[in-house]
Amino acid sequence: MLVSWNWLKQYVPLDMTQAELEHRLSMSGLNHEGTRGVADDLAIDLEVTSNRPDCLGHIGVAREIAVLWEQPLTIPDPRPASSAPAAAEQASVRLECPELCPRYTARVIRDVRIGPSPDWLVERLATVFRPLNPDWEPVNNVVDITNFVLMESGQPLHAFDLEKISGGQVVVRQAGKDEPFTAIDHHEYSLQSGMCVIADTEKAIALGGVMGGADSEVSSSTTCLLIESARFDPLATRNTARALNLHSPSSHRFERGVDPVGVEWASRRCCELILEIGGGELADGIIDTGEPVAEPGLVILRLSQLKRILGIDVDPDEVNRILTALGNSTAAAGDGELAVTAPSWRRDLTREIDLVEEVARIHGYEKIPEDVGVPMAPSHRTDRDRVESIVRQTLLAASLDEAMTASMVPASWPESFTGWTERPPISSQTPMLKGADRLRTSLLPSLLEARRVNESLANPVIELFETASIYLAGDGELPVQQWTLAITSAGGYYRLKGIVEGLLAALKIDIPLEVKAVDLPLLDLSRSGELCLDERRLGFLGEVSPEGLKQFSLRNGTSLVELNLDLLAELAELVPQHQGQSAYPSISRDLNIVLAESVRWSQLEQLVRATAGKELEEVNYQETYRDSEKDGADTKRVLFSMTLRSQDGTMTGEQADQLREKVVLQIEKQLSGRLLS
Amino acid sequence: MALNEFLEQLQQLSTEATSAFQQADSLEAVEAIRVDFLGSKQGRLKAAQKLMGQVEREDKPVAGKQFNATKQAIEAGLEDARERLSGGSGSRSADPTFDNTLPGEAINGGYLHPITQTIEELKDIMGRLGFSVADGPEIEDAWHNFEALNIPPEHPARDPLDNFYLATAGASAASDTEAPLLLRSQTSNVQIRVMESTPPPIRIISLGRVYRPDTADATHYPMFHQMEGLLIDSRVTMADLKSVLRLFATSYLGSDVHIRFRPSFFPFTEPSVEADFSWNDKWIEFGGAGMVDPNVLEAVGYDPEALSGFAFGLGVERLCMRRHGVTDIREFYKNDVRFLHQF
Repeated sequence: MLVSWNWLKQYVPLDMTQAELEHRLSMSGLNHEGTRGVADDLAIDLEVTSNRPDCLGHIGVAREIAVLWEQPLTIPDPRPASSAPAAAEQASVRLECPELCPRYTARVIRDVRIGPSPDWLVERLATVFRPLNPDWEPVNNVVDITNFVLMESGQPLHAFDLEKISGGQVVVRQAGKDEPFTAIDHHEYSLQSGMCVIADTEKAIALGGVMGGADSEVSSSTTCLLIESARFDPLATRNTARALNLHSPSSHRFERGVDPVGVEWASRRCCELILEIGGGELADGIIDTGEPVAEPGLVILRLSQLKRILGIDVDPDEVNRILTALGNSTAAAGDGELAVTAPSWRRDLTREIDLVEEVARIHGYEKIPEDVGVPMAPSHRTDRDRVESIVRQTLLAASLDEAMTASMVPASWPESFTGWTERPPISSQTPMLKGADRLRTSLLPSLLEARRVNESLANPVIELFETASIYLAGDGELPVQQWTLAITSAGGYYRLKGIVEGLLAALKIDIPLEVKAVDLPLLDLSRSGELCLDERRLGFLGEVSPEGLKQFSLRNGTSLVELNLDLLAELAELVPQHQGQSAYPSISRDLNIVLAESVRWSQLEQLVRATAGKELEEVNYQETYRDSEKDGADTKRVLFSMTLRSQDGTMTGEQADQLREKVVLQIEKQLSGRLLS
Repeated sequence: MALNEFLEQLQQLSTEATSAFQQADSLEAVEAIRVDFLGSKQGRLKAAQKLMGQVEREDKPVAGKQFNATKQAIEAGLEDARERLSGGSGSRSADPTFDNTLPGEAINGGYLHPITQTIEELKDIMGRLGFSVADGPEIEDAWHNFEALNIPPEHPARDPLDNFYLATAGASAASDTEAPLLLRSQTSNVQIRVMESTPPPIRIISLGRVYRPDTADATHYPMFHQMEGLLIDSRVTMADLKSVLRLFATSYLGSDVHIRFRPSFFPFTEPSVEADFSWNDKWIEFGGAGMVDPNVLEAVGYDPEALSGFAFGLGVERLCMRRHGVTDIREFYKNDVRFLHQF
């Protein structure tokens, strides 16, 4: 909202400096956004919050100044002379849609002389319009006056050429479906039901609350005026303006709500100025349709609430002065209570707390101390935070950098990885970024895209992880939001598997990690697996297939892992318990076993653990190599070591050898393997 | 021979040799002591080594280890004595092949995203002020994102153009007559969920992703992170709000900071303010704040006559950008590793 310094002076003395004015208005609710000089005036830009439409006119801003500086406020009291015949005999108004237009008034002026506006009027308007539109020019005296009253009171007005209103009858009604309308900007619009039009007996002549029509606009040949001052429904006005992408100073104000009483004042003010500047005869009376203005309710302000909410006492006289100067009427109610009736232009003041805020902002928030002793309270770290912290430490130690990617993705991404769900992704009505309107069902495609960006910059090392939610359509009220970890690395399958094992170790989860074969097109068929803990799905791991690399335009190979962090958090042992360590040294034995190719390490490991029993501390896989000439086709040599330790004494070499023989025997029996000496 | 006996002899040998080397006053004397202890034929250490043959087989590893340690100790005593008597550093010479300016062995740890680092710092500070972290869903219903926050259906904040409403088909089992689900436009939904399920007092922060349609440019992104604080108790005032924000800002910036309130308007707080903090003689916008609106307290079943509270919120990206001099918000979501490695 741009206000003119000179214009404000019409209503309130401005004895302060410009800087003082700007600062104090900012501190009391009208945030100062900037000031620029226009001719010998200042255009001061104030941010008006949506609850304060009364400050969308100079009088409202002047009232704030008057309250802050304890100055008198002078508001014009228009009393335009009128004569017979009455307005109602020269025009009529039929209000068919009070839900879209609660009040519609009209006055009629005859024999007006359309011409240029006087300099003072042009100067006022130029100050507030030209900074927004350098090409702004005055239109004619009548249109300029309606704009003047708009910027004075915040009440939009419209002047029709009465002779162009067919039948002299104004009908306020809903628009028909696809009803055509040519606005004053000479653009053609197609209207919809739910929009409010001002029509004559033939067609729409204005779009209620938004814009006038080209056909009935005031021109140099106009002599007869119908002055509309009305109140249009905020929500309907907003919907209309948005649907047509047609925003005007009028729609801006109707969307926020105009003063229901001020509707009539603005009409009188407008007519007075027209008579003064353009001459003519004002018809007696006003055509006033719609519901009578509702009486504002009484609000009781308990003065004790000021201390309770603000933390400071405010002198009762000061409270009364502030509220009265803002236009409220007050009366002492019970002990320490004020009965307050808000003015018609302040429909935001309906509750006690609203009055507390009014007193606070005028009294000054700087009077609230910033050093009171806030009581101490314990705070606790959530398990989720603890888990997240351990996960991050582990991943940072594994040389991974944390990435952050958008939650919505293009439609093709969820299709590329369906590990977590077969259901289609949830989509949004509005895309987040270009074409990205699906809520992601996996973080992996996002990380592959981040990888592509880094590849395109020839960044040599690209090792990324992200922790975020994925969104899985479910049967519950809200979709499942699974807390998820994903990693992309240039290392292979085993590097990422090592990281997963490291995570399990760091979170003290000693459930064995199972790997099941999985067929996901994004991943290589062999070098991949579904990860499980106790038959519960932990996630997916694998090297990206050639097709996957192609889909994400990647030049170099990469591996991926994606884990359900909710499951890890559930299984994590965040307060590990001490287990006594054996006081005796360990001893290790290496084994080099020839096995059929089909035997998996997991089988071998399980057998070794089961056979060696409690004295087996660790089984460490070393390596696999193949020598088909010596060992036969489809065989492999698996080299591993066992670390053995007893709780009861130092394990001797003989004891260790015995255990090894026992293990070898079982390997021969159950897996048809044999020890290479 | 028992292991203990052997170890004792070694200990004795070490003590005697060290003492002798320390007392030697000439290089000749040092040489004599050397021959006595370390002589290859008649040396006392050599004699001890022979004794090791008598130690039990299973004790041999321990015995051997201790023997080596003793030998090293005596040799070190010899070196020290020679060094002392030959006039200090004269005998030291630098190895010309060792380039001590070569780079160290890289440790190659990963880096946390700057947004995460900022969030962790915020959590840390607020934790010390007694605020615990509360989590809530990112996909939210109209009640928790709007209605309970005093944002009725006709409020402009619910406009489809300003929110990411989910397409109803397949989004949930909710019936068509209900308002569609949406990606939360603020973290205040967590306040409602916590108050609905927890009796007062409440002292929480909620942190996370929020979503508002916007064209991505240097200062806007349709997804960003917010931190919100909420304190509800029987006697909470705006002075408490100002004081907590001051403690927070002073902790964050590490110097004495002052707080300024400018009136503002939010549906879920009244009075509502924009909070600024003074820094380097300038006022910097901190974020929105205010006293929790009585309608919000009522919506969650609290008695606004018995309880009061404050809430505040701030944008994490903006804070992070100012702190680290990042000028384009899109950098946070591009994940260029050269960017990530700077923090």
